[in-house]
Amino acid sequence: MVNAAVPAARTGADGGLAGVPPTSANCHTGLSWLALLQMNASPDPFVGAPDAALLVAYANGDGQAARSLTARLLPRVLAQATRMLGNQTEAEDVAQDAMMRLWKIAPDWRHGEAQVSTWLYRVVANLCTDRLRKRRGVSLDQVAEPLDAAPSVTAQMQTQARMTALSDALAQLPERQAQAVSLRHLEGLANPEIAQIMDISVRSVESLTARGKRALADIMAGRKAELGYDDDEPE
Amino acid sequence: MTMTNPNDDMLDGLFAQARKTTAAPSDDLTARVLADADAMQPQSTAVATPQMGLWARMLDTLGGWPAVGSLATATVVGIWVGVAPPSSVEDMTANLLGDQVSVTLFSTDLLFEEEVLFDG
Repeated sequence: MVNAAVPAARTGADGGLAGVPPTSANCHTGLSWLALLQMNASPDPFVGAPDAALLVAYANGDGQAARSLTARLLPRVLAQATRMLGNQTEAEDVAQDAMMRLWKIAPDWRHGEAQVSTWLYRVVANLCTDRLRKRRGVSLDQVAEPLDAAPSVTAQMQTQARMTALSDALAQLPERQAQAVSLRHLEGLANPEIAQIMDISVRSVESLTARGKRALADIMAGRKAELGYDDDEPE
Repeated sequence: MTMTNPNDDMLDGLFAQARKTTAAPSDDLTARVLADADAMQPQSTAVATPQMGLWARMLDTLGGWPAVGSLATATVVGIWVGVAPPSSVEDMTANLLGDQVSVTLFSTDLLFEEEVLFDG
């Protein structure tokens, strides 16, 4: 059903609506997979069920559970990876890898041990720091790849350059600091939650984020002019 | 005037900008993730039937309880007819064999004769 619906929806968006200006409303006529998932899933038999229950249903052979879990978790997983890596392609690879690990662990998932979201934050953070580590030996120009292949606005390009620079700076930090800083400042999580994700004490989280942020500020200070901050900052 | 580190301000601005980043999964990514889920999904355990025992398999081969009930009834009737044949059956055997044939499982005559022998 979903496979058949996607090309049809795309054809309608591309072929039809002649003369109608491309507003954000009619852009959505090209239904995304996620939107179709959510539409087809209605009524979702898992509404209100915790993620762990869906994971158990998936492990027991329920195909709908995988669709519901993907609709729920993939956007968040992808967003975390995108913020940390500043690169769409790499973030998608990490998101797919993280979800793959979720499918793998499903039969052995133990109730009450951890929340699925907490576990995923940890997995994504680890996968991202693995990627960042590999960047260390590469020159910044090589990894400063634009997020959007067809940037149209200078501001968008500058934002992208800043996000890439931030990610590159994260790559220079020790891994635990990079993880703590990203969870605190990019994901906006509270210290107790970060402590749970990283399996350390709250005090350690505070220490890691403070040191990490200081180091990050020092690294970014060297790229201020390049990123267009000198114009914004009054002396 | 508050003294703030301009580098910290820049960093806080960058963090805020990053937090605004929302990433909608592309059709391709969603399809890949669902394909992985499909490939990794354990086979359904709910539909697996338990292994049948010997008696259950025999019962199943014979056609279940109704068939076994009929079979048991037929067996009992057959034995009954053999032990105490109705007169019509006796007549029929007499006509066929030319003589009256009676079959008794427990020959009281023989027992009686043995007792006579013992007594004698």
